[in-house]
Amino acid sequence: MDPQLTSQIVPIEEVRVIEECLVRLAEDTSGNHILLLDKSGQVIASQGDGNRQDVTALGALIAGTFASSREVAKLLREKDFRQLFTQGVRENIFIALIEDQWILCIIFNKGTHIGLVKVLTKKATDELSLVLERVRDQQKARDDVLGSSFRTSMEDTIDLLFRD
Amino acid sequence: MALINVAAREIHCKIVYYGPGMSGKTSNLQYIHNQVPRDAKGDLLSIATETERTLFFDFLPLDLGKVRGFQTRFHLYTVPGQVLYERTRVAVLNGADGVVFVADSQKHKLEENIRSLRELAVNVTKQNKKFQEFPVVLQYNKRDVPGALPLTTLDKYLNAMGWPRFEATAATNGSGVFDTLKAISKLVISKL
Repeated sequence: MDPQLTSQIVPIEEVRVIEECLVRLAEDTSGNHILLLDKSGQVIASQGDGNRQDVTALGALIAGTFASSREVAKLLREKDFRQLFTQGVRENIFIALIEDQWILCIIFNKGTHIGLVKVLTKKATDELSLVLERVRDQQKARDDVLGSSFRTSMEDTIDLLFRD
Repeated sequence: MALINVAAREIHCKIVYYGPGMSGKTSNLQYIHNQVPRDAKGDLLSIATETERTLFFDFLPLDLGKVRGFQTRFHLYTVPGQVLYERTRVAVLNGADGVVFVADSQKHKLEENIRSLRELAVNVTKQNKKFQEFPVVLQYNKRDVPGALPLTTLDKYLNAMGWPRFEATAATNGSGVFDTLKAISKLVISKL
């Protein structure tokens, strides 16, 4: 297994810790929606507005914005922009980087003060960086999770679905 | 890096279509979006200029359904090909599990192809990944254009690494598009 391409496996118990953390953050900030993303744009966990159908696209766009801001930082010889704040008419978005791997995004309305969001987000990112550390450390074999026949089944599905 | 969520039993992989401007990256995604069954795809999201050139990226989520109990999703992205968007390409490439390099078969595009491929190698390396081991599939697009370079010439200049490579006409009849997608998907899965 090539270590540079090693998949990130988030175990059940860690997903629970993440969910609890997001629920708490949503309650304390009255946030409308909270997302935890991988830097590649994949949604790890999502909390809040259950009617939201566009979470996948939202994840891709937010991660793209963050990656783009990182390149701006490099041009400015800044180490990193670790937080981003976008102000809307109805809703605001606050985004914070967790280590170098995950992105925490809080969508909240005008009733919540940005200062409160910043303080509580800092607390949450500290907690989530511990989870990230544990996820990185675990060396569970992929076949334990996926099963040995997974790849064969996957190839069959790819052949079936991806055709003219 | 692929993401495996054990609690939700989900696997997510990111595939990026890379290559010089106007080589047909967006056409690949448009063709896939048109052909894949409705329940297996999300909306095709394009952040483009007023003249329909890609400004940031195109994004197409594909849902392969449950495979051995795991909901498997491929997220396809394109980068903007124009030279000035170099930094934007770095941003989109972030966290990719595999790349389709879409080369333009026209003679006058050969140099642009070579330059774009070199840039890809630099950008992958910058992400602390070994380019020699990174999953790449090559697509020689626009094979139907009169005067398209012979495969031997394209191979000589673009495929020193011996990647799987496919001929395609993405914008006209979509030939080769799914062969390319199948190849990169399987390559990415083999690295999970």
